[in-house]
Amino acid sequence: MRRGRGPASASSTTSSSSALFGGESATSSPALDTRIPDLLKELHQLIQQTQEERARSEHNLTNIQKTHERIQYEQKGKSKGTSTAVSPYFKSKLRGLYSTAKADAEVEADLLRKCLDKIAQIKAIRNERRIAAKSAGIFMEQEPPRKTMRRGVLMTLLQQSAMTLPLWIGKPGESPPPLCGAVQAGSDYVAKPGDKVAARVKGPDGDEQWILAEVVSFNTGTNKYEVDDIDSEEGKERHTLSRRRVIPLPQWKANPETDPEALFHKDTLVLALYPQTTCFYRALIHAPPTRPQDDYSVLFEDTSYADGYSPPLTVAQRYVVSCKESKKR
Amino acid sequence: MREKMTEKECPLQFHDFKPVDHSKLCPRFTQILSRTEEEGIGEEELDTIQLELETLLASVSKRMRQLEGETQVLIDWQDKKDKKGSMGKVHKDSDHPHSGKRGRPEEKASTKKFKGDTASTSSSTGKWGASASTSHSTPSSHSQSGPGRPKSKQANIQQKMQEYEFTDDPLDVPRIPKNDAPNRFWQSLEPYVADITHDDLKVLEELMKPVEEESEYYKVPPLGKHYTHRWAQEDLLEEQKEGARVNEKGKSKSALGGSSSANITETSAMLKKVDSNSQKSRDTETTCPFGPLTQRLVSALVEENIMTPIDDTSLIDSSTKGEGQSGEASSSSPRSSSSRPFSVPHTRALEARIREELINQGLIESEDQTGEDTEDEVLSELKKRQAELKALVAHNRSAKQRLHKLAKEEIRKQELRQKARVIDNEVMDCFRKIMAARQKKRTPTKKERDAAVKALKEREAVMKLLDS
Repeated sequence: MRRGRGPASASSTTSSSSALFGGESATSSPALDTRIPDLLKELHQLIQQTQEERARSEHNLTNIQKTHERIQYEQKGKSKGTSTAVSPYFKSKLRGLYSTAKADAEVEADLLRKCLDKIAQIKAIRNERRIAAKSAGIFMEQEPPRKTMRRGVLMTLLQQSAMTLPLWIGKPGESPPPLCGAVQAGSDYVAKPGDKVAARVKGPDGDEQWILAEVVSFNTGTNKYEVDDIDSEEGKERHTLSRRRVIPLPQWKANPETDPEALFHKDTLVLALYPQTTCFYRALIHAPPTRPQDDYSVLFEDTSYADGYSPPLTVAQRYVVSCKESKKR
Repeated sequence: MREKMTEKECPLQFHDFKPVDHSKLCPRFTQILSRTEEEGIGEEELDTIQLELETLLASVSKRMRQLEGETQVLIDWQDKKDKKGSMGKVHKDSDHPHSGKRGRPEEKASTKKFKGDTASTSSSTGKWGASASTSHSTPSSHSQSGPGRPKSKQANIQQKMQEYEFTDDPLDVPRIPKNDAPNRFWQSLEPYVADITHDDLKVLEELMKPVEEESEYYKVPPLGKHYTHRWAQEDLLEEQKEGARVNEKGKSKSALGGSSSANITETSAMLKKVDSNSQKSRDTETTCPFGPLTQRLVSALVEENIMTPIDDTSLIDSSTKGEGQSGEASSSSPRSSSSRPFSVPHTRALEARIREELINQGLIESEDQTGEDTEDEVLSELKKRQAELKALVAHNRSAKQRLHKLAKEEIRKQELRQKARVIDNEVMDCFRKIMAARQKKRTPTKKERDAAVKALKEREAVMKLLDS
């Protein structure tokens, strides 16, 4: 039932991409070369700034802690019967301390967000380069780099990409955007080239499977996507599919502590990537993640088990999407 | 109420605002900090840095939320104390800066549309005539709205009705009352689909507040007089009254009035004496300062052999040899205590030690706490109800908070919809102007076209906001 996917794919590591990149010159530009180191430098500076800010605000936080202790000590010290209320002096002091702490926290959050944005920028540039290299690389011999990608490496890549999916941390009052965790994309959302999707393709033996794929392009004329199987052997590479056969994967992780409503709940029917493969299968959610870095625990539909479901397996947030189809014939 | 305020517990939660210890949780982050400018960051470290930065950011966001919550609590608490007498409700206009403005455009629009604002269709023909001119243009814009605008829907219905009736007007005046049903229906629906006002939000907030009265529900009142005592006292009082009444047939009433109160104190004194007597007799006879467990243990070890008192000492000796550690502890004590007067603290500690030892040995279970409660059924019932109350209160509070959040969202959306309505009207105005110009067989001026384009663009922007 589980289709083992072969080795070799076009999604490459930085080393192989730079190898590809070094080979051809059509899409390269000297500007790109210096952009990344510059960004890295800026990132370094931002990180230094963040730490300074944090050190500064720590002082205020220790003040708050001390005030808390004093208040609690005074409350406990007084015997029962007399007032245990916090005196107005403490209240106003707390209010002042809280507002400074809030301002500090906002500054710190800003800086942190800038750092994360920089990282996202760097990653986007790397991704662009890779795609450009891939499309240009069709014209050169690419057998050697491809064959170096073995199954284990592919799986590690998948895991890495799941872990480094950015975590959505909204400001207080912000709700998670579409494509964050379980939040669905708008009905007119079009996946961009380079986005990962779950695509329903017809295999050479006629049966349909949901596979992990990467969007190459979207043809607005015919309303069809061109997707690449990320685990591509000969003959399984490019597919042209209509929109309803393509489900975009989430672009952010949802934080269970702040946005639990952006996660799938227990016993929801979903399509999840079976571990160590590149195919999606129907599954029921057994338990949603409890911490931001945790995975979902799901039960795959499996007729080889007595109750029809496999034991709980872990699947990262990135590879769980909602399942809209009814039970097939 | 001031007393209640000072007695109740502090609602602040005193969160622990310690910042994330980055040296422990974010090693890569710390490592980078120590690097110089030249060394910089490698591309391969980006992933780990990203994870660590996300952790830091998550903790900062959590801190901000907690701070906001606590500040709000503080503000409410202080305001409540300050404005206790005067205002009665805390004004939270920091959250709704446009609360005042929101009500007015709605009012203006509605009064403009139908002067008088009555829902009944038995309005005069004069009113229809006045609003007939506006009726043609407005239904089209109103008909696009969703169910969240009953006032305009009413206006819609009214105006549609008026349009409908307008054609038949001279002939079919008596038919109007029959078509009242849809109007009544929409009217009955109005409280369900009406816009949420800030007053509703305030009501919600008020609902979330009152926690003060609950504290008294959680108190377990002290045990009153046991009913046997009370009844005994009351019975005695009754009998005294009977007796006094019998004797009354010769005494003055005033003397009786004085003696009745004296009787009450007498009876209580009498009862007390009876109680203490029985208590004393119990004391001297059977009460032993040793705890129940000690007594039971010792009585199990000591053989009742009344006939040979001389053997008592030998029996005690044999029992000490025969038993284990628990036996030793207890049997040694009667020997020592028989030579000395009973010392109470010593016995209490002994009782506790014996209890602990027996529990360790597994001979008794440490359930005597619950045992006490199960005897008092009223107390156990009270405790059960208190737990229920607590659970319900928590559930209600969370539901109210959710509702409050949703209401805030909804109000924001309503304001947007309101803006959309206004802009729709502007668009319609421009349209009318252009139509008028076209009718006059002249091309619409640039000014009119510009106004139309601007209005359309504004509308698109608001619609996009609304959809998101």
